[in-house]
Amino acid sequence: MIEADHLSKIYGTTSAIQDITFSVEKGEILGFLGPNGAGKTTTMRILTGYLPATSGTARIAGFDVHEDSMAVRQRIGYLPENPPLYPDMTVEGYLHFVGRLKGVPAGDRPTRVKLAMKRCGLLDKRQVLIRKLSKGFRQRVGIAQAIVHDPPAIILDEPTVGLDPRQIIEVRNLIKSLAGEHTIILSTHILPEVSMTCSRVAIINRGQVVAMNTPDQLMAQLTGGAGYELEVEGDSALIQQRLQQLPGVKAIEEIADETLPEAHQKYRVTLDAEPQTGQKMGQNAGRTIAAAIVSAGWGLHEMRRVQVSLEEVFLELTTEETISEAALSEEAAQSSSAAAETATSPETPAPSIETEPEMSPETRS
Amino acid sequence: MRIVLSNIIAIYRRELQGYFASPFAYMIAGVFWLLSGFFFVSILLSSEGLIAQVAVRDQVGITEPPIDIVYQFLTVFLGVLGSLALFVLPILSMGLYAEERKRGTIELLATSPVTNWAVALGKLLGVVTFFTTLVLPLLVYQSIALGAADPPVSPTVMLLGHFALILLGAAILSLGMFISSLTDSTILAAILTFGLILLLWVIDLVANSIGGPVGDALGHLSLVKNYTNLTQGIVDSSSLIVFLSYIVLGLFLTAQSIEAFRFQRS
Repeated sequence: MIEADHLSKIYGTTSAIQDITFSVEKGEILGFLGPNGAGKTTTMRILTGYLPATSGTARIAGFDVHEDSMAVRQRIGYLPENPPLYPDMTVEGYLHFVGRLKGVPAGDRPTRVKLAMKRCGLLDKRQVLIRKLSKGFRQRVGIAQAIVHDPPAIILDEPTVGLDPRQIIEVRNLIKSLAGEHTIILSTHILPEVSMTCSRVAIINRGQVVAMNTPDQLMAQLTGGAGYELEVEGDSALIQQRLQQLPGVKAIEEIADETLPEAHQKYRVTLDAEPQTGQKMGQNAGRTIAAAIVSAGWGLHEMRRVQVSLEEVFLELTTEETISEAALSEEAAQSSSAAAETATSPETPAPSIETEPEMSPETRS
Repeated sequence: MRIVLSNIIAIYRRELQGYFASPFAYMIAGVFWLLSGFFFVSILLSSEGLIAQVAVRDQVGITEPPIDIVYQFLTVFLGVLGSLALFVLPILSMGLYAEERKRGTIELLATSPVTNWAVALGKLLGVVTFFTTLVLPLLVYQSIALGAADPPVSPTVMLLGHFALILLGAAILSLGMFISSLTDSTILAAILTFGLILLLWVIDLVANSIGGPVGDALGHLSLVKNYTNLTQGIVDSSSLIVFLSYIVLGLFLTAQSIEAFRFQRS
């Protein structure tokens, strides 16, 4: 439904995105995850035909976004970074205007506008001037604007920015309810958000897709680290056998290295990416592995985590969460005690709840 | 075709609605009406006005050449209105695209199935309609005053003059719209538009000093010359064509500049 093929965009001498390739099937929700300035907005602007790519092509429903711009424009709903609103219009008037621009037939327009307002919770604000709306409501009008003509492809740039926690949950549910008949791409810099809404995630950093997977597997990779590299002194067969038995270890491969001293071997241990064990193992796997080796009497000479690039992204993401957490801790303190309780008990077994505490600080941003 | 028309109407209605919901537009209208009313009174009725002049001439006994007060008045008044429009029109056109760019709504227009032509035309029609609503009320007090003239004035003369004013306005607004599409600063758009109009206004002065065929050619581009022709009741198709050309040129350049925007923003 949506395909990007080796997209690059160069502004002057700096390149905003490099060689981005992905495709989204009909009914899927793809999340772009990345820190600010990673190239999410640029990619989305190219997909909507608003910006030309320096090289590469993008197609929506089989139409090239640049060559067949009009055909593409009829098939997309787009929420830009800043919602494109006319402050002097009422919510309903604005949505009628957009519906008309997008080619919704006059007869369907009242129903479409009403449905969009209903889905975005704007029915009591229908006659209010957009100028007088709060930021959260403006954001919702922006989303309503993107879905008013019922487009097959919806592109949302940071749809939950500026919303309060309750609204964020509503918007996420709205987005999930749109999947199936609509194909959706959304961007966010909030890690847990993608796990709640998206069926697939592309992590973008410095203009490149550094990872693309289902949220569960990515979460596992990110929280656990995808694996370890070990340098161990001892009997290779026994070591491999022992490590294989450890919970959460998926595979072990020996890395050939001629420079190693006698009886030393290098291994790459891949951790189980299954969400439950993967996440729990993520925190303990290193300890378990090290303990197993040491207790067996082998010499552990080196041990380090691999997948550095993801880690880097993850660090940037988490830093942002910490900042907003600190800045809004006061507001966080006033939020519902239930959320606060889950936040203080991260060991809750069910995975859906386990992601909740991570989300809570960010939802207040 | 129907879709394009529907788009033009959508943009047109949004523009109009924007004007009538904005205190700024009412302020401009107020100032325009106040000034034009002031000039109306001073040209016609003040102690140095046309009526006083004619009365003095009658007393002194000069009857040759005869003065057609209505005709004189219309020429002078429309000339003043034209100059007034010089200041008002850049203010009306400055926000047409600059505002859209600043607000980010250009991103909505650029990703909607609407051609740049339709957007530009809808916007131009909207702002010209607003300018027309500025001009039309002036006709009310003019027809009351000039209705007292003897022999009676033919309404065609009056209407033609005001039609010329609106045509002049449309030409300037169209060019102003183009300039507005180049920047996201409304103030800059207004200043640049004002400069351009001033140039086109007095280009016949420049042309006269150059002389020769080049000067002649330049002279035809002058807004003030073609406008004055029309207000004097000289319906010259070349004047109409000059105005229409400016309108089409402005539309074309606007559509192209927005199209270019889509291609090379880097």
